[in-house]
Amino acid sequence: VTLAIDLLLAIGLVVLAWQSLAGRSQFRGIVMFIVFGFALAITWARLGSPDLAMAEAAIGAGVTGALIMIAYWRLRRFSLAEPEDPSPRRSRFALVIALLSTVVVAGIGLAAVQAVGEGGAAGRALAEALPETGLGNPITAVLVVFRNLDTLLELAVLLAAWVASRAAMAEGQAALALPEHQDSPLVRALVTTLVPLIVLVSIYLLKAGGQLPGGAFQAGATLAACGVLLMLAGQVGPAASASSWLRVVLVAGILAFAGVGLGMLALGAPLLALPGLWSVYLIETAMMVSIAATLVLLFAGAAGLERGVRP
Amino acid sequence: VTHPEIWMLAAAAMFGIGLYSLVIARHLLRQLIAVKVMGSAVFLILVVAAGPIDGALDGIPLALVLTGIVVAVSAIAFALTLLVRLAEVTGSVSLDDDEAGDAH
Repeated sequence: VTLAIDLLLAIGLVVLAWQSLAGRSQFRGIVMFIVFGFALAITWARLGSPDLAMAEAAIGAGVTGALIMIAYWRLRRFSLAEPEDPSPRRSRFALVIALLSTVVVAGIGLAAVQAVGEGGAAGRALAEALPETGLGNPITAVLVVFRNLDTLLELAVLLAAWVASRAAMAEGQAALALPEHQDSPLVRALVTTLVPLIVLVSIYLLKAGGQLPGGAFQAGATLAACGVLLMLAGQVGPAASASSWLRVVLVAGILAFAGVGLGMLALGAPLLALPGLWSVYLIETAMMVSIAATLVLLFAGAAGLERGVRP
Repeated sequence: VTHPEIWMLAAAAMFGIGLYSLVIARHLLRQLIAVKVMGSAVFLILVVAAGPIDGALDGIPLALVLTGIVVAVSAIAFALTLLVRLAEVTGSVSLDDDEAGDAH
């Protein structure tokens, strides 16, 4: 039975990957890509990592899907996202390259499976050192305690993506276009029901992330979904510039992380050594709001956000 | 991980499909999705290849892939903004110089 489930999921992944890229209709391809993301999330759960499953569903399928969809909609406005893809390039080598790379990747993968029966030394060291941190979730421990410089820089990458997106826009352009929102009592009722629930889920994910599957990235992406929902419902709109509180929220993760790290350095501890479990939750909370704000701004393609119903 | 070979073969096929589409597609949106599919295949290989420790998955590659997922969404968000701007400025959604890219 386990073999059948594995086979079914694996074949499903390959078929969905093909469907999202091969069809003529671009819209259908995007939808298939989002379904592919969810199939991948199920795969992570099947492989035994609920953390990755949540991250993939929220970020890989959810946020990425929303970003691609809104880009498709923006291209449609210049009638540039053809419902049909322009005729693909004819290349004699494409199929050969693709088949060769498939064989090479399969070779590498199968060789790796043969060579490494059991996990590496770093993974063992992690499992041994985990109880000392007071955290139960090894991934959170790696991200916030053992390899926290990577995570700090990752936050910087996310922020840089937004700064670069802003820089790519025309001078004086406040925001990229967003769909007109249709004022419907159904949408309003749905939003008032969903928003508190989503906020609750993201706070739970953040709190659980220390011991159970979850964490700042999953929580941040879930919170970002809430922002996207509010934006599509017209409750939040793009603004020409970021208000000062939004700027603080955007850099809160980096500030909290670097602040604690540098503070410990001043006290004589190594750089980015964390004083205790409270600092982990402090940093993760700051990371969550920063991640959520950055992702919402990337979706809006805007400099800032403001409340109020868009025209 | 019960059957690592199955996942490796699936990941290899995903990588090949992504690369094939990246080469033959003209529309940049489709090429971006192709790169995303290739990236997902690499994530899958990374996690499956590490092998389990005492029955659970190795935490290091999982953290690495989680970081990768976030970096990938940052990169694609920036790439999509560039694509929309490219369309606004040049009226083209392809990097080709030949007639097909400029036909629209």
